[in-house]
Amino acid sequence: MQIGVPKETRPGERRVAATPDTVKTYLGLGHTVVVEAGAGEASGIADPAYAAAGATIGDPWGADVIIKIKPPTAAEIEKPKPGALWVSLIQGEREPGLLEAMNAKKLSVLALERVPRVTRAQKMDVLSSMANLSGYRAVIEAAEHYQGLFGPAITAAGALPPARVLVIGAGVAGLAALAAARALGAEVRAFDTRAAAREQVESLGAKFLHLAMEEAGEGTGGYAKVMSSSFIAAEMALFREQAKDIDIVITTALVPGAKAPTLLPRDVVECFKPGSVIVDMAAEQGGNCELTVPGERIVHNGIVILGFTDLASRMATTASRFFSTNVANLIAELGKADTFKIPLDDDVVRPALLAHSGDLLPAPPPKAPPKAAIAVVPPPAAPARKSVLPPPADAKSAQANIMKPTRRAWGTTVGSMVVIVLLFVLGRFAPPDFLRHSTVFVLACFVGWQVIWSVSPALHTPLMSVTNAISGIIIIGGMLQVGTDLDLASILGALAVLFAAINVAGGFLVTHRMLKMFARGAPSTPAKASGGHHR
Amino acid sequence: MSGFLTVAYLLAGVLFIRSLGGLSKQETAGLGNTYGIAGMALAIGVAAASWIFTYRMTAPIGLGLLMAAILIGATVGATMARKVEMTGMPELVAILHSFVGLAAVFVGISSYRASRAETLGQKGAEPLVDPIIVEIVHRSEIWVGVAVGAITLTGSIIAWAKLKGTLSGKPLLLPARHALNAVIVLSIAGLAVPFMQAQGVDEGFPWLIIMTGLAGILGAHLVLAIGGADMPVVVSLLNSYSGWAAAAAGFTLSNDLLIVTGALVGSSGTILSIIMCRAMNRSILNVVFGGFGTAENKTSTAAPAGEVHEMKAPDVARKLLEAKRVVIVPGYGMAVARAQQSVAEMTRNLRDRGIEVRFAIHPVAGRLPGHMNVLLAEAGVPYDIVLEMEHINADFPRTDVVLVIGANDIVNPGALDDPSSPIYGMPVLEVWKSAMVVVLKRGMSAGYAGVENPLFHIENTRMLFGDAKKSIDALVAETRGSAAA
Repeated sequence: MQIGVPKETRPGERRVAATPDTVKTYLGLGHTVVVEAGAGEASGIADPAYAAAGATIGDPWGADVIIKIKPPTAAEIEKPKPGALWVSLIQGEREPGLLEAMNAKKLSVLALERVPRVTRAQKMDVLSSMANLSGYRAVIEAAEHYQGLFGPAITAAGALPPARVLVIGAGVAGLAALAAARALGAEVRAFDTRAAAREQVESLGAKFLHLAMEEAGEGTGGYAKVMSSSFIAAEMALFREQAKDIDIVITTALVPGAKAPTLLPRDVVECFKPGSVIVDMAAEQGGNCELTVPGERIVHNGIVILGFTDLASRMATTASRFFSTNVANLIAELGKADTFKIPLDDDVVRPALLAHSGDLLPAPPPKAPPKAAIAVVPPPAAPARKSVLPPPADAKSAQANIMKPTRRAWGTTVGSMVVIVLLFVLGRFAPPDFLRHSTVFVLACFVGWQVIWSVSPALHTPLMSVTNAISGIIIIGGMLQVGTDLDLASILGALAVLFAAINVAGGFLVTHRMLKMFARGAPSTPAKASGGHHR
Repeated sequence: MSGFLTVAYLLAGVLFIRSLGGLSKQETAGLGNTYGIAGMALAIGVAAASWIFTYRMTAPIGLGLLMAAILIGATVGATMARKVEMTGMPELVAILHSFVGLAAVFVGISSYRASRAETLGQKGAEPLVDPIIVEIVHRSEIWVGVAVGAITLTGSIIAWAKLKGTLSGKPLLLPARHALNAVIVLSIAGLAVPFMQAQGVDEGFPWLIIMTGLAGILGAHLVLAIGGADMPVVVSLLNSYSGWAAAAAGFTLSNDLLIVTGALVGSSGTILSIIMCRAMNRSILNVVFGGFGTAENKTSTAAPAGEVHEMKAPDVARKLLEAKRVVIVPGYGMAVARAQQSVAEMTRNLRDRGIEVRFAIHPVAGRLPGHMNVLLAEAGVPYDIVLEMEHINADFPRTDVVLVIGANDIVNPGALDDPSSPIYGMPVLEVWKSAMVVVLKRGMSAGYAGVENPLFHIENTRMLFGDAKKSIDALVAETRGSAAA
């Protein structure tokens, strides 16, 4: 298979869909790679670097597989050969007719944004890897347009409080922004409609703002859903109140397949202090702020509103590396050159495949993704690419039958019946003395049974050593056997007393030593406790 | 006198129950031990008083024997208890069990030689049943008591040797071990027949001795066939046997206190064994007859693919200092390396910097139930930061760094998702859900269960190779050093 990497043509796009590293990956899979001249220039990758990795510099459009960042322009749709596989972001809902046009050219279309958010597909998830970078970049852009320090400073020239940053929407981008702002020293607050976000926000050291009213905002796939109007009213009130002391707002709220919700209407924006910065990361999908102009920086009443839609692209080198690695992982999923095919039943590839050999494919029936989908998104600081997957979050320890209450109940019942029958047999035939002892024995067993179950696991060892000492009660038996004469019985009895006495003294003393150590939070005890046995 | 004795014994029994009850909570544990000592002192005191009362001054030799035995025994026991290191606790407990077994054997044989139950202690009601039945019951009591005692004795000695390392932890799996066990059990039962029919003490005596030997072999063989990893269960099982042995001696001697106390200890040991077994998702029968706990099933798991990432101590220390929440999972390796003091010091260093440090204890960590708690308590780790598995498992996703010190099988994800793993189904500490796991280990060898651990190959796992004590000491130095910087 030949893989073609064209130069991005849409304005402002600096990324490229392959790097010399992924070129090597493709060659390793048995493919050949053609890179358009100058494709990596904006990402800081010169043509010789591709050539050195083994790619050909030339016309990429004749390739069997075209990999790209952005959806094709009208001109680009005409270029590939019929039947070729097209891999890029498609975002068909923004450009109606695009997909139909591609299908008319008999292209197979893999839309990268449709790769499902499941653990296995994490390594192919461009949305997450790009959102991670965008979130970071949003903070950096905000810092550039903000006229103050992020961290607090007390200097001879005056004291400064830390910048107060509000992140709205704690998805991957929001969390990345939050972490970056924290790292710069800002005081960070975050708001999200999803309850699960709270834990993640707090884990990064930010404060989670919550509304007095309860409404779960979890939609499918770890994304948020559209909220009710009363919820939105409460939300607006919260933002208005927050506006008084917030310096920087970063909004990342997106609802899949719909226009981004307007969280900061004009009147809320006007509550902010002059000099505040609003970074609207949802600008491309219509913006979370009413005043946002996509791709532009505007100033309203001294408040800076950044509507950049190319945040990830502004870090083209890193973004290209992440993006092309995601794409390479997806291509690798399709097999090596000799076994290369599009698996129509694969639960990662199928949802992303929008068109195939002249047919538009309907979306597959949505599978309910795990609730924790958002939680498996790696924290921005440590993108986890797992070589061995840990068991899924819902893996239950398969406790076998022995824990089953029914089985235990049966065991207890049968056991008691056996004991009762035995007692009846004994009552009929055994000497009354023995019967009396048996009664005592069975009762004592039950008492022990009831008393011990409540023991706390930490005390197992002391319990064992104390029962050990107590079972030294057999010393009484030995004493009973010592008589007047020095015969075998007396000597054995005395020996029994001797060994039982070791047990009694040893058991109680060891228990005492152990219990002395079980002291709460007293750092002085270890010296004493461990010093004891060296004397 | 008899009535007085009965009341005293009843009181002692109640004190023992209070003692066991007290030991179930941290706050009352010390009191529980005191109750136990009081009960024991009362029982021994009353028994001694009644002994002297019965014999007056007619038995100087017996009195001398008694005094000497108690004095020597108490001194030896006290010395052992004072000298033992907390890491040697499992061995001490095991060897103490063997003493109870030995005492039970002696009491049984002695009471067969000369039954003195009627002269001293509680005298039973006049038998209304056929005296032959009474004799048979009495002899079976002796038979059972001696057998249980002998099994406890040799079983405990083997367990002690395995824990100490004198014997290898590997199970000795004879080809026909189940058949062998069955043969021994049957012959023990069979030999009872000539013993019952014996006309005098001297005629029955050889049978009793032979049976004692057989029971001894049975006990040794049973424990020999159990792997080192199952020793916590074996030790608590032997704990219960030592109780049953005491109870059997009580039947022989017609002594209610022995019966009550033995039954208490017996059921307590049984419950501990059950708790242990549940923690490993196995049944007691599986532990005792399974011959499990070692490399037997090794072939069933393919070696997991993936590389191992190593990390050096300074980097680990840096990660710890950057973390907000740290969980330490100690295992037997920490006990072996005697690293608990260093671990405690590192914990203090981290806590002083406001880092939340907690300990996660798996129910079967170590070689004795509660082993890790004892070691950590010895080192002065506050017990409110030491948590059980159920209480901490949900917290791992929120944890920044998990430090696994010398533990292996208890953090094996294969137990949850790999049905071919021999430990499949055992609840484990789900450390891999945290942001990062650092495993301190001597090398890449498998754990006691002989199972490969996929945890070591997961992307967010780092290995810090070396002796646990040395590694932790390095971390202590690093965490303290950067505090000054």
